[in-house]
Amino acid sequence: MIPLKYNIRSLWVRKTSNLLAVFGVALVVFVLATALMLSAGIKKTLGATGHDDVAIVIRKGSEAELASSIEDPTVGLVTSQPGVAQVNGRAAGVGETVLVVALEKNGAAGFTNIQVRGVAPEATLLSRPFTIIKGRSAKPGSDEVVIGKRLEGRFRGLELGKSFDMRRNRPATVVGVFSAQGTSYESEVWADAETLRSAFGRPGLVSSIRVRLNSASAFEGFRAAVEQDKRMGLEAITERKYYDRLSEGTSLFITVLGSVIAVFCSLGAMIGAMITMYGAVSNRVREIGTLRALGFPRVQVLASFVIESLILSAAGGVLGCLGAVAIGSVEISMMNFASWSEVVFRLDPTPQALGIALVSAGFMGLLGGLLPALRAARVTALAAMRG
Amino acid sequence: MSSEATQPGDIVIRLRGVGKTFHRGSESLRVLHELDLDVQRGAFEALMGPSGSGKSTLLNLIAGLDHPSTGSVEVCGQRVDQLNEGQLAKWRASKIGFVFQTYNLLPVLRAVENVELPLLLTNFSAKQRRERAETALRVVGLSDRLEHYPRQLSGGQEQRVAIARAIVTDPEVIVADEPTGDLDRASADDVLTLLERLTKEMNKTIVMVTHDPVAAERASIIRRLDKGSLK
Amino acid sequence: MNTLVLSARNLSRNRFRTGLTVLGVVVAMLAFLALRTVIYSWTVAAEVAPKDRLVTRNKVTFIMPLPKHYVERVKQTPGVKATTFANWFGGRDPNNEREMFSTLAVDTNTIFEVYTEMKVPEEQLATWKQDRTGAIVGDVIAKKMGWKLGDKVTLISGIYFAPPDSPWTFTIRGIYAATARSVDRSTFMFHWNYLNDRVPEIARDQAGWLISRVTDPSQTANISQAIDRMFDDRDIQTASQDERSFNASFLASFSAVLKAIDIVSIVILCIMMLVLGNTIAMGVRERTNEYGVLRALGFSRNYLATLVVGESVSAGIVGGVAGVALAYPLIENGIGRWLEENMGMYFPFFRIAPGTALLALAFAVTLSAVAALIPAWRVTQLDVIDALRRVE
Repeated sequence: MIPLKYNIRSLWVRKTSNLLAVFGVALVVFVLATALMLSAGIKKTLGATGHDDVAIVIRKGSEAELASSIEDPTVGLVTSQPGVAQVNGRAAGVGETVLVVALEKNGAAGFTNIQVRGVAPEATLLSRPFTIIKGRSAKPGSDEVVIGKRLEGRFRGLELGKSFDMRRNRPATVVGVFSAQGTSYESEVWADAETLRSAFGRPGLVSSIRVRLNSASAFEGFRAAVEQDKRMGLEAITERKYYDRLSEGTSLFITVLGSVIAVFCSLGAMIGAMITMYGAVSNRVREIGTLRALGFPRVQVLASFVIESLILSAAGGVLGCLGAVAIGSVEISMMNFASWSEVVFRLDPTPQALGIALVSAGFMGLLGGLLPALRAARVTALAAMRG
Repeated sequence: MSSEATQPGDIVIRLRGVGKTFHRGSESLRVLHELDLDVQRGAFEALMGPSGSGKSTLLNLIAGLDHPSTGSVEVCGQRVDQLNEGQLAKWRASKIGFVFQTYNLLPVLRAVENVELPLLLTNFSAKQRRERAETALRVVGLSDRLEHYPRQLSGGQEQRVAIARAIVTDPEVIVADEPTGDLDRASADDVLTLLERLTKEMNKTIVMVTHDPVAAERASIIRRLDKGSLK
Repeated sequence: MNTLVLSARNLSRNRFRTGLTVLGVVVAMLAFLALRTVIYSWTVAAEVAPKDRLVTRNKVTFIMPLPKHYVERVKQTPGVKATTFANWFGGRDPNNEREMFSTLAVDTNTIFEVYTEMKVPEEQLATWKQDRTGAIVGDVIAKKMGWKLGDKVTLISGIYFAPPDSPWTFTIRGIYAATARSVDRSTFMFHWNYLNDRVPEIARDQAGWLISRVTDPSQTANISQAIDRMFDDRDIQTASQDERSFNASFLASFSAVLKAIDIVSIVILCIMMLVLGNTIAMGVRERTNEYGVLRALGFSRNYLATLVVGESVSAGIVGGVAGVALAYPLIENGIGRWLEENMGMYFPFFRIAPGTALLALAFAVTLSAVAALIPAWRVTQLDVIDALRRVE
C-alpha cells in the first residue's frame, strides 16, 4: 500500500486549500449535528417525562391534554378500574386540568403560550419527580403557583416573588421554583387545581386523568376496561407513549429541516472538497506517474486519494462535532406544535447524533473524493517522464 | 563574430559601477561586480556567459525590473535606478519590450489579443489598439494567425507573436532572455532574422542574453560575462 | 479585449473547475433562497394581513373563549363596520387522521362580510346558509380529500366530544377560492349554531374570538383600545389588536426556529465564499509566472488585484444568475406547490419574494468579491523576478 505518510505530507503541503475544504465540511457537520442534537434533546425532555407504568386517559380524538375535556364523575370511574395501584387504600389516580396562558417573552417581542397545570394534593400518589429548589410549595386552594426551573426568568412574571394574571383581579404569585429531573414538567407552571378551574370558568371538568398502575404489564387490562364503553369516548395511553407522540411532530420537523439544510450545505462542501482534490491531482501528476512507474497498481492510487479525501472530511467532521458540543449548554425555547405551548429544550449530544454527523462527513469525503481519485488512477507511468 | 554598428548612434543604455548583491537569509551573494557598459542605439547586443555569471541579473537591471545595489543605470535618458516601483512600471510599459525563452503568452487570449495586452496601459481606444496589434503582427509575418490561441501555434510562431507584443508599444529597447532557447534551428533562424530587422529597419536597440553561439553570431556585438564582470 | 474580458477569460482556463465552482455558487443560491422563502412565507401572513381588520380575543389566552354577547357590543363600537366570530373546532377526518386542516364554527351571516378575500359563488352561499349541517371548504383541501358538493363528511373533535351513535356530520355545500395571497385555502367552516346546539350547557354561547372590519385602518389602534376598555371591568377581559400584529405575535413563538434558519442561510453563503475563494486561490497560485509577465509589461500591483477580484465576481455573477433562474422552477413551482398543498396551514403561500431574489444576487456579487480579497492581496505581494522565474 502507498504509505499513509505520503498522503498526510501531501495534504500538509497544500495547507491553505485543504484547510478551506476542511472548514467547509466542519460547517456542514456543525449544522447537522446541532439539528440532530436538538431533535434528541426534544425527545429526551419529553421522553424522560414518560413512564411505562403510568397511564394517561384523555378524550378520544384529542391531540394533547390541552384539547381534551372530561367530566368530574368520570375520574372516579377510571381510577376504580383494574390495574390501578393502591396507596393506603386509595387509588393512585388523579384528574388534572391543563391550560395555556399567553405571556410575554423576556427580551423578545410578542406573546407565547405557557402550559399551566392544575394539580390536586392527591397528585403525590403518582410519585412524579418533583423537588422544590427555590422558595416553597404553593398553599393548596390559594392563588399561589410554582414554576418549573426551565421557565425561570424567560417570561414576564415568571420569577420568584413576581406574578401574572390568570384572570382579572386574580394574579397568581410565584412562590417557588421546582426541578423535575429534566422532564417537560420543568417547562410548566403548576397551580392549585380548584383555583385554576374556577379562574377559567371550567368547574366540573378536567383535561386528563393520570393513574399509576401496579406494573407496566397491567396497562393492557386497564386500557381495555377504559376504552370498552364507547359512549364514554376515552382513550388510555401510557405516559411514555403519550409524550413520544407529543414530541414526534416537533422532533420530526427539526430533524427534517436540519437534514434538508444539511443536504444542501453538504453539496456545497463536497464541491469544495472536490475542487481541492482535483487541484491536488493535477499538481501531482508527475508524482503519481512516478508511483505507477515504481509499480504501484491503479487500485492503490485510487485508494490512496480516496483516503486523502477521507482524512480531510474526518478532520472537518471532528471539528464540526466539537463545535456542536461546545454550544451544548444552550437552551432553546420552542413551540411544541402538538401541545401548542412553549417548551424549553437543551441540545443533547447523544452518541447517535454525533455518530450520524461523523458518518455524513465520511460520505462527503467519499463522494467528493471519488471522482478526483478516479482521475488520479488514470495517470500512466509515462506522465513521470513528461516535462 | 561581432560587427560594429554602421552608424555611430547615441548611447541608449549607460551603466556605471553597477553591482548587485542578493541576500538570502543570512547569506549574501555578489552577482555583479561594478560593471560599466555602454550600448548604442540600434545595436544588437548578445550577452553570453556560463550559468551563474549574472547575465540575467544584468538584463533585469537594464529592463527596470530590479534595482542595482551600487552604481547607476541610465536607459533612454532615464536614471532607472532612481525610480520607485510604480514609476518603473509606467516607464517599462512605454520604453521596454520583453521577449522570454518560454514565450509567456497568456493562453486564454488569442494572438491578436496577446499583442494588444500592453496597449491596455495606454489611452488608445479599442479600435486603435486593435489596429496597432494587427500592424505588429503583420511586421512579424503572422497576419493569418490573428485569432489563433497560443496552443494552436508552433513554438516559433508563438515567439513571433511575443515579439509582436514586444514592439506594439513602440519601445526603444527590447530585452530578450534566451529567445531561441526552446526553438528548433529553423524557427530560431526566423526569430533571429526578425530581431535583426528590428534593429536595422526600426532602429530598435536589442540586448539579448543567450548561450547559443549560433544566435550570438547574428548579433552586432558580443559581450561575455564571467562571475559578474564583463570581459 | 479589455480588463473585464481578461479577468473573465481566466475562468475558461480550467473549464471543469470553473464549472464545479459555479455549481457550488448555484447550490448555495438555491439553498439560501429556499430558506429565506421558508421564513418569508411563514411570516407573510403577518405582513399581508389587511390592516383594516382587528382581532379580539380573551385577554388571558386565546385558547379561552369570550361570551357571545360581547359580539353585539363590539359591533356597535364606533368605527367598526362589521364583526364576526369563530370557534376552533379541532376536527379531523377519521378516515384520514393524519391530514391537518383548520376546522371552524362560524357565524354564517357575517363571516364572508369580514373575510372578503374568500369568495364563494352566490348559490353555494345561499344553500349553505339554509343547511344547518352544511360546510364550506377551501379549494385546496377539497381537492386533497376528494370532497365535492353534496358529499357527506364526518369529523371527530377532541374538544367537542360526540358519542359514536350521533357523530358530527356535515354536508359540503360550498367551496371557496382565495383572492389574496396569504389566505389559508384549507379551512373547513360550518354553522356556529350547529355547534352551540350540541355542546353541554356549560360551554354554550361562547365565541372563540371576534374579528371586526373597521372603516378607517388608521384608527385600528384606537378602536382596539376602545373595545378593550368596554370590557375592562368585567370578569372576562379582552385583548384587541389589528390582524397583522396578532399574526406577528403568534410568530414570536417560533422565533427561535426562524432565527436558526436565518443563521443557517448565512452559513450557507459562507460555505459558498469558501469554495469560491479556494478556487480563485488555486488559480492564482498556478499562474504566478503569468502575473510576473504582466508586471514586467508594466501592469501595476493593483491592476493584478483587480484581475483576481474580477475573476471571482464573474463566477459569482454567473452562479448567482443561474441560481436565481433555477430557483423559480425548483423552489416556487416544485417544493412550493407541495408545501402549499400539504402544509397549507403553515405555508399558505410559498413564493420567492422579488426582494429576496435581488438580495441573493447582491450577496453573490459582494461575497465573491470578498472571497477574492486574500488571493488578490497575495498576488500584489509577488516579486516580479521570482514570479518570472517560476515555471509551471
